[in-house]
Amino acid sequence: MNLEVVKLAAADNQWGAIFPELMLACIALALLALEIVLPKKLHAYIPDFALSGLVGTLAGLLFNFRSAALGHDTFNGLLHHSEAGQVMRAFFLLVAILVCVLARVSLAKQKMPRIEFYHLVLIVTGAMMLLAQSNHFVMLFVALETVTIGFYILVSYFRTSTASLEAGLKYLVMGALSSGLLLFGIVLLYGVAGNPDLPAHTASAMNFKALAQFLAANPHHFLASAGIVLVLAGVAFKIGAFPFQIWVPDVYQGAPTPVTAFLAVGSKAAGFAVLLILARDVFAAYAWLVTPVLIAMAAATIIFGNLAALTQHNVKRLIGLSGVSHAGFLLLGVVAAATVPMAQGAIYFYLFAYLIASFAVFGVMTHVAGANDSDQDLDHYAGLAKESPFLAAVLAIGLGSLAGIPPLAGFMGKLFIFISAFQGGARWLLALAAAGVVISIYYYFGWIKAAFFEQWMPPADTADPRPARTPVSFVSGLTLGSLALASVLLGFYQGPLGQWLTMK
Amino acid sequence: MTPATLNDYVLISAVLFAIGFFGVLLRRNTLVIFMSLELMLVASTLALVAFSRFNGTMDGNVFVFFILTVAAAEVAVGLAIIVALFRKRHTVQVDELNTLKN
Repeated sequence: MNLEVVKLAAADNQWGAIFPELMLACIALALLALEIVLPKKLHAYIPDFALSGLVGTLAGLLFNFRSAALGHDTFNGLLHHSEAGQVMRAFFLLVAILVCVLARVSLAKQKMPRIEFYHLVLIVTGAMMLLAQSNHFVMLFVALETVTIGFYILVSYFRTSTASLEAGLKYLVMGALSSGLLLFGIVLLYGVAGNPDLPAHTASAMNFKALAQFLAANPHHFLASAGIVLVLAGVAFKIGAFPFQIWVPDVYQGAPTPVTAFLAVGSKAAGFAVLLILARDVFAAYAWLVTPVLIAMAAATIIFGNLAALTQHNVKRLIGLSGVSHAGFLLLGVVAAATVPMAQGAIYFYLFAYLIASFAVFGVMTHVAGANDSDQDLDHYAGLAKESPFLAAVLAIGLGSLAGIPPLAGFMGKLFIFISAFQGGARWLLALAAAGVVISIYYYFGWIKAAFFEQWMPPADTADPRPARTPVSFVSGLTLGSLALASVLLGFYQGPLGQWLTMK
Repeated sequence: MTPATLNDYVLISAVLFAIGFFGVLLRRNTLVIFMSLELMLVASTLALVAFSRFNGTMDGNVFVFFILTVAAAEVAVGLAIIVALFRKRHTVQVDELNTLKN
């Protein structure tokens, strides 16, 4: 064994470059240790520890945003650090913070062990952060599987509820199926790119740069095309794009509400971060194949998501299917990103606007929901404006932003995406997306109508079927208020975020 | 008898993958679906080792260890969910697991 090679390889492991992920892993382990060490009456403070750890990590990341590793590959090409990667890291940390805030409200209604939930959220967040920076198929696969397996447990976390367990099983089967497709696609690409008979064949065929060079030299290879389609199918499962969206309504309904929020925002954003890297850079030479596939997927996703959401009465299914249509709008951005440089920034802005608006809505949902977490009907929102004006106002702003009502942040996000799609030349797709927006306004306003304009008529003979509203605590009130405020402010003034995006 | 070529290995792994894929889609017993999922991973592993051997690149052999680890984790979590569900519903048939509906 040549020791020098090992030494050289070890020198490339710059552990400082993944400090935030290491922090998350350490905090996650510390949570479990604290649960053993601390006396029972102090256990209530462990979630606070997780929350402050996440806030600290986010602050450290923002402080060191222009880190020395930017633009470099570390760990022998497993990771590539870029500005986009830094933005996604901050995004996932923000998602994790909000999930923890929602979990405090939601878990309080269940007789469940609490600490493991926060542990899993931290681990999954760390894996998502690595996923957004991966530069190698081994890294991509392992990070993606860490995320997915973490989600299997999180979705079925309310294990006394049949709905939660069934959702977990459905997510497990669908998730594992998509991982299988993704893996077989990776294997085909690896096998083709390592073939010594082909030009530009490479020994490290799973490295994104080497693979991109190989694909550029062989732009019409059949097995490589098959591999690319399989990889895209695997990623499409994660973002819930048509025809791989069948799991979305059931899993979103059965999962605990904070996990639904985590799936809807975090998991989807992780899928799009990967899809952007793959479609723009790695598979660039196969644009003749990738672009039509993505266009067809975007069109079908927008149509299906909006039409299916029209008939829903369970709000979790409704927001799940509307999330499918949001994935369609984002796919529109990914299609444009192949030719328009601005589109990448537009996608990130859309993701942030979607994050803020979604968590405002999910936050209200956790307060309205009762002990049976999967039963959240539109009727439960009747009379919300009278009983809790604050929650109703946050709900209206969040839903308005999701629907894309000017001047809220969601409108600006859609506008940026549509402008870049217009520049990219996908005109008929743009018309379809505009029609989708109109349909989405209808069902979002059905929800707002339920909260504001419907009087609650208590049935005379039975007890009130609506669960009691949870009183808003200081922390969750502050969070929901600032989310609603951010939705409004980000619509008027995009600030440094918008500046960075339009510079691209 | 001639030694097996790369094409033979890739063909076998493609057949295994197809069996696993259609098994997941068509079978109704959760445990059989689970076995089919594992079959898909094994098919990928076989193709990886074959490609690695015939192309003379090492990455594939290393990747196999990662896949084995991931598959083990998936089985651990998956079987736990199936057992928990069986305790509640006393069935592992997909058709009867229909609490989540419109």
